[in-house]
Amino acid sequence: MTRTTGRRLPWARTVFWLYVATLMLPLLWMFGMSIRPNEDILGSFSLVPQRVTFDNYVTFFTDSSWYSSYLNSIVYTSLNAVMSLIVALPAAYAFSRFRFAGDKHLFFWLLTNRMAPPAVFLLPFFQIYQSVGLFDTHLGVAIAHMLFNVPLAVWILEGFMSGIPREIDETAAIDGYSLPRFFVRIFLPMIRSAIGVTAFFCFMFSWVELLIARTITSVNAKPIAATMTRTVSAAGVDWGLLAAAGVLTIVPGAIVIWFVRNYIAKGFALGRV
Amino acid sequence: MSEQSTGAVQADEPRPALKRKDNRAWWLVLPVVVSVAFTAVIPLMTVVNFSVQDVFSPVDRVFVGLEWFRSISRDPEVRAALVRTLLFSAQVLLLEIPLGVALAVVMPRRGLGVSVALVLVALPLLIPWNVVGTIWQIFARGDIGLGGWTINNVLGVNFNYTLDSTDAWITVLLMDVWHWTPLVALLAYAGLRSIPEPYFQAAQIDAASAWATFRHIQLPRLRGVLTIAVLLRFMDSFMIYTEPFVVTGGGPGNATSFLSILLSKIAVGQFDVGPAAAFSLLYFLLVQILCYVFFTVLTRSGR
Amino acid sequence: MVWTVPTALVFAGLVVLLAAMAVWGRISPPVARRGFLRIETDRGDRLYIGLISAAVVLAGWIAVTDLSMWLALGCALLVALVIGRWG
Repeated sequence: MTRTTGRRLPWARTVFWLYVATLMLPLLWMFGMSIRPNEDILGSFSLVPQRVTFDNYVTFFTDSSWYSSYLNSIVYTSLNAVMSLIVALPAAYAFSRFRFAGDKHLFFWLLTNRMAPPAVFLLPFFQIYQSVGLFDTHLGVAIAHMLFNVPLAVWILEGFMSGIPREIDETAAIDGYSLPRFFVRIFLPMIRSAIGVTAFFCFMFSWVELLIARTITSVNAKPIAATMTRTVSAAGVDWGLLAAAGVLTIVPGAIVIWFVRNYIAKGFALGRV
Repeated sequence: MSEQSTGAVQADEPRPALKRKDNRAWWLVLPVVVSVAFTAVIPLMTVVNFSVQDVFSPVDRVFVGLEWFRSISRDPEVRAALVRTLLFSAQVLLLEIPLGVALAVVMPRRGLGVSVALVLVALPLLIPWNVVGTIWQIFARGDIGLGGWTINNVLGVNFNYTLDSTDAWITVLLMDVWHWTPLVALLAYAGLRSIPEPYFQAAQIDAASAWATFRHIQLPRLRGVLTIAVLLRFMDSFMIYTEPFVVTGGGPGNATSFLSILLSKIAVGQFDVGPAAAFSLLYFLLVQILCYVFFTVLTRSGR
Repeated sequence: MVWTVPTALVFAGLVVLLAAMAVWGRISPPVARRGFLRIETDRGDRLYIGLISAAVVLAGWIAVTDLSMWLALGCALLVALVIGRWG
């Protein structure tokens, strides 16, 4: 009998799925609101929508200020994940394989930047990104989000890389592989899952961040999250449209996590996170 | 650092041979240093410079010394916000860490259930923070939200987070538990999965109870991942901004006005550059200390 | 960025300090030991703890008393020194 789980409690399954159901309640409620007309939402309380309409979604996909900000978010988030990975990969390798002057302190310093409250950086970010011409660009937001994603990426990747025996590096060196060639041809494929998990975390933290993204954008790179604060108008809050936008912002994340779900379970165990 | 933290996760594996000492490794780290310098060091320098000046415009500014630090550190509103934030972080850790571990223990380990469970549990983490705020803003409303409506009409308790301070606090806390417990659960789950099989077989032979197995086999092996979970949850709850801002806007009154909400009110709302910068630095200092203490205690205890 | 002389001096000081630590580390590599802080630290760790503690002294001072900040600076440097030497 192969058990990788240890002893299971008899009621574990029930408790777990009950929790998941509770977890989903607020989400389902939001979905329910997104397919109801506004009069119904505010008019009377009912568990099940009385009239079902997809007008809110239609509005979202026909109004360019909505769908273009949605695209903006996707663009800068992807850009950020790629850039963070490119920068973090060699660094994580260095931390996992070598000792060098100040390595421990550099590592902690990186982490402290992950800890810095984003609110602290609002003022300087606004100024700096304006003066270097990155204000209101996708690249600008992607770079700004490297503030917290690069340290995190280094941290996760280093954990994974430390789990890979150093003998592999040495064998490759004896076989005549140069470091860059070894890294790209042998090492990267070995840590595929780590890269997947890291990309997922970078994507996630960049996708959900609002404060910085909102501060350094105005129109062209405006994130969807910022557009959502716009629904408060003279006529009150457009709850239906807001809920529809909310539902749609969950979709990319759900897709991404579906792809890395196996890596997450397997990967978490090796990596630090 | 790297040896220590790796040791935390893989405490029982034989210690690997010493790493090669090679200062050329700095070349590999250079891109990270440069990018973080651009995104963190330069802004930090700017903040430091702002904090000692009264800036009317880029050309019109006066050096005021430590005046902003004095006024901010003595501001009763700031102090109240600090107490509130610390209290919130403490409550978040006390609720989310045990709940997350418990959840990880009961999570499925085989079959299709694993994928579905992972995706569903991780879902709240993927939602933009202001949408989380929106969800709860809707959900907790007494008239149109399922949560608020249930409390008001089924439990018969008068609940209104826009008027009552306690209700607002509870709403924000519940929201954070809903939002972030999955992170703790995923980390703990990963930690549990990494425990080698022989440990459990030994426990089975000894006919250990489920609780004893958890207490003596699973929990000690979770120290590494729990370190990370506590650190991450502490940092993020201490910096929480978007979710309470959307739900309560810091109100009613100042009931849920945490440090970052107050800070961004001063920085962006009133555009008081100097005081905001001084505030930022004190805030940053505090986060540094607390995290260093956490980190040291958690990675070095038991050694 | 709108520099002032004091802030420039502070940052220059930090850079010099880091450079000095790097040079010192080259001449004689740091050794980890246990002092009155009861945790294993090498000199870089103690420098960090010392600087942070000095900052705490300054911040605490300004939050509670109107006494001269030069006095606070003296105390802060003393604290940093004690931690660096015996911590």
